[in-house]
Amino acid sequence: MTFRSLALSNIRGSWRSYSAFFLSSVFSVMIFYIYAAFLEHPDVLSGHIVAASKVRQGMVFCEYIIVIFSFLFVLYSNSAFLKTRQQEFGLFSLFGMTKAQLRKLVIYENAAIALLAILVGIGLGMLFSKLFFMALGVLLGMEETIAFAAPLKAIVMTGGGFFALFMLISVWTALRIGRSEIVDLLGAARRPKGQLAFSPWLVALSVACLAAAYGMAFVMNAGTFVLLALPILITVVIGTYFLFTQLSILLLRFIQKRAALYYKRTNMIVYAQLGYKIKDNARILFTVSILSAVIMTALGTVYIFQLSGKEGILQNSPFTLAYLEKGANAHEVIDPDKLKSIVKKDGFEIDKEVKATGIQLDKFSIQETGGRLREYKEVSSIVISATDYNKLAEATGQPSIQPESGKLTLVQQVSGGRGIGAGVVKGDVNGEGREFPLTGTVNAKVMNWIGSYYLLFVADDFSYVQLSSSVPEEKRLALYGYELDDWEKAAGTAAKLRELVPPAQREQIHFDRPDHYGELMETVSLTLFIGMFISLLFFIASGSMIYFKLFTELQEDQAQFRALTRIGMTKGEIRRIVFTQVGIVFFVPVVVGIAHALFAMKALDNLLESSNWIYSFVVIGIFIAMQTLYFLVASRSYLNSMLRGATA
Amino acid sequence: MSVLRAQGLGKIYGNKGSVVYKALEDIDLQVEAGEFVGVMGPSGSGKTTLLNLLSTIDRPTSGHLEINGVNPGKLTDKKLALFRRRELGFVFQDFNLLDTLSIKENIILPLVLEGMAPRKIEEKLRPIAEFLQIAAILNKRTYEVSGGQKQRAAIARAIIHQPSLVLADELTGNLDSKAAKDVMDALKEMNEKWGATVLMVTHDPFSASYCQRIVFIKDGKFFSEIRRGSNRQAFFQQILDALSVLGGNFDDVPFARA
Repeated sequence: MTFRSLALSNIRGSWRSYSAFFLSSVFSVMIFYIYAAFLEHPDVLSGHIVAASKVRQGMVFCEYIIVIFSFLFVLYSNSAFLKTRQQEFGLFSLFGMTKAQLRKLVIYENAAIALLAILVGIGLGMLFSKLFFMALGVLLGMEETIAFAAPLKAIVMTGGGFFALFMLISVWTALRIGRSEIVDLLGAARRPKGQLAFSPWLVALSVACLAAAYGMAFVMNAGTFVLLALPILITVVIGTYFLFTQLSILLLRFIQKRAALYYKRTNMIVYAQLGYKIKDNARILFTVSILSAVIMTALGTVYIFQLSGKEGILQNSPFTLAYLEKGANAHEVIDPDKLKSIVKKDGFEIDKEVKATGIQLDKFSIQETGGRLREYKEVSSIVISATDYNKLAEATGQPSIQPESGKLTLVQQVSGGRGIGAGVVKGDVNGEGREFPLTGTVNAKVMNWIGSYYLLFVADDFSYVQLSSSVPEEKRLALYGYELDDWEKAAGTAAKLRELVPPAQREQIHFDRPDHYGELMETVSLTLFIGMFISLLFFIASGSMIYFKLFTELQEDQAQFRALTRIGMTKGEIRRIVFTQVGIVFFVPVVVGIAHALFAMKALDNLLESSNWIYSFVVIGIFIAMQTLYFLVASRSYLNSMLRGATA
Repeated sequence: MSVLRAQGLGKIYGNKGSVVYKALEDIDLQVEAGEFVGVMGPSGSGKTTLLNLLSTIDRPTSGHLEINGVNPGKLTDKKLALFRRRELGFVFQDFNLLDTLSIKENIILPLVLEGMAPRKIEEKLRPIAEFLQIAAILNKRTYEVSGGQKQRAAIARAIIHQPSLVLADELTGNLDSKAAKDVMDALKEMNEKWGATVLMVTHDPFSASYCQRIVFIKDGKFFSEIRRGSNRQAFFQQILDALSVLGGNFDDVPFARA
């Protein structure tokens, strides 16, 4: 037996506890390689794939996240492995293995695992990269597919980078072993794990931190975001940490004092074991909680941004298709009948249709009573009648207005902002200087922004007729607005219509809503697509930490269950105990993570001034479903080895 | 009334094609209620196999076994587990106390699993703990107490649910001579004052001298049987004589405390 074969057989021997760690490593290598393969793809580098620039930055960012996360994950896993193997190391030392040899053994083992993980990871990455490219091609809306490629640079970067990362960590952890006495190493497993002690101060700190964090998240809004974001993050992390290390012990002690609950059949074993292992488990539960919260919040955020983005688009363009014509019936831009027939031919229904006529107001200025003079030299505005305004308002779901006789009302097509109070409006109508009294401002988006017409003036019908009589019909303005039923899919129709408009009049149309929506959806789906892999990586890694924990304690637990079987514990009871224990370890972090995520989403709602709880629940539901799947797999495999060990 | 009745009990190990090994052959054994019976034999004589059969964690390949009128071979796995829990008590060489539980929790485990009310559990625990002199350490953990205390806690656990039969396996094997004496005294008291029926497997002539009757087995077969008179010292000598007739290797447990 050579030294190397000893290392290899060590890995084979503890394969079960290595497997989850190995799989997570493979997964990180795979994701890293797939992203790298895209970034280093010859067509991307040569600029053939123009759309690649949209995802490039996001992917590079994700690569960094993967590296940082892998570093922490491997570091944690490695030191956890070494801790569980102290007894074994003690035996080796007892037989005369020197410290240098012991370190060499550990480094050999890690090198073997790392090589295997990198090979499998890159292999799977190559296998799945074509699939990834295809999906990406669809999301980027590309005509031709991205060809399969395995860029050498991506392979070298992935392989070399991860090997360096693994080796760096294993050398570092290897240097730390062999500092304790052999006797301590041999007795490591039997050392008492300490009492269920907690500090009331830290418990109070935990509660206070969580309460403060939740409170701040609850009241946070756009104004206080910068001030509160960091304190919330810090208090949440501190509070969660002490929740698991301190508050949990308080809770267990409370349960143990309730005899009716504690002395109820298998409860006693479950809670006693929880208490026994809590010190070891607390840090993992903490890490997994934070990871779960991050995953859910991130996914929820993308969803909410999509929704609020859609809302913003709808607000900014009240009509799918809108245009302005000079001349009440001139149709210099496009004939409404033609437009309608094209829309119908493409299979869309027109939900709403509004036409409003108006008079152009040039070189106007507003003098607010007791305020400053606002001059608008470059832009023009439009004066429309109350009847036409109210038609627009009705079609866009805004309140109607009744202007005072002989006075104008200013309609500002922007949200928020203080309006202009009563005053005087001066401006040119058909080249003649005119002056009107102004009653005040209404904020409402009743028409798409076309050119500079984001300010509208509304006159009462009688004054409007008087005013318009001085303007010849060909100089009057007409606003057209059409709302389609399936507007999300109308980008093609909008483009077709745009082609029909003479180039000189393209400033006077606004057919952009479907395009804006398409862009938004593309960004969102790309973000989701790329982010999904990172979330999946976090998810798998956090699960693997739990899985690893379960299987390193397997032998101890097996001995326990063997003893329990002898004194007459049934299989059903063992099953119940295992499911409860594993369930607690899997789901407590999820519950805490969900609580964090809900408050984070509440804060996000405040920021965006919207409410999208249903979508948050969808994200949380998916997360719970996946975790449940993971739980079932892990608990089944754990239970099987437990029952096998118990009857042996 | 006999608590345990075994007739022609045999156990053959081996599967198709491999060498068949007879671990036990034609063992007859009867234990009456309130008896304190020892089983002795050299290494490899089949003591552990016999105990496993009696503990119902292994099934005999031949013969008939009845514990308190029930044939455990006819029970399903679940019923068998419940049967062990209610009818049998176990004391093991390596204690088999759960590290995760306190001493008290370990002792009351059989009652808790049965779903007994907490108040009743306390009522049952108190006299036994006092009797076994472990009342002071009830709230300690297993690693905080001595081997003798652990074994007395194990005895308490084996007896608290008043089983028909207590099975003890080399229970002094891990103890020093002082602790071994305390533990054996305790077990004897439990037998005499609480009427517990005990069947104990041991190598150790000193521990065996506490029994009322000792069955010797060798090479998987019944060898001889001796009964105790009034004097334990004389019985001890009798055991040593029987062992020398029996021959075989008794060295795997030290004799230091004899």
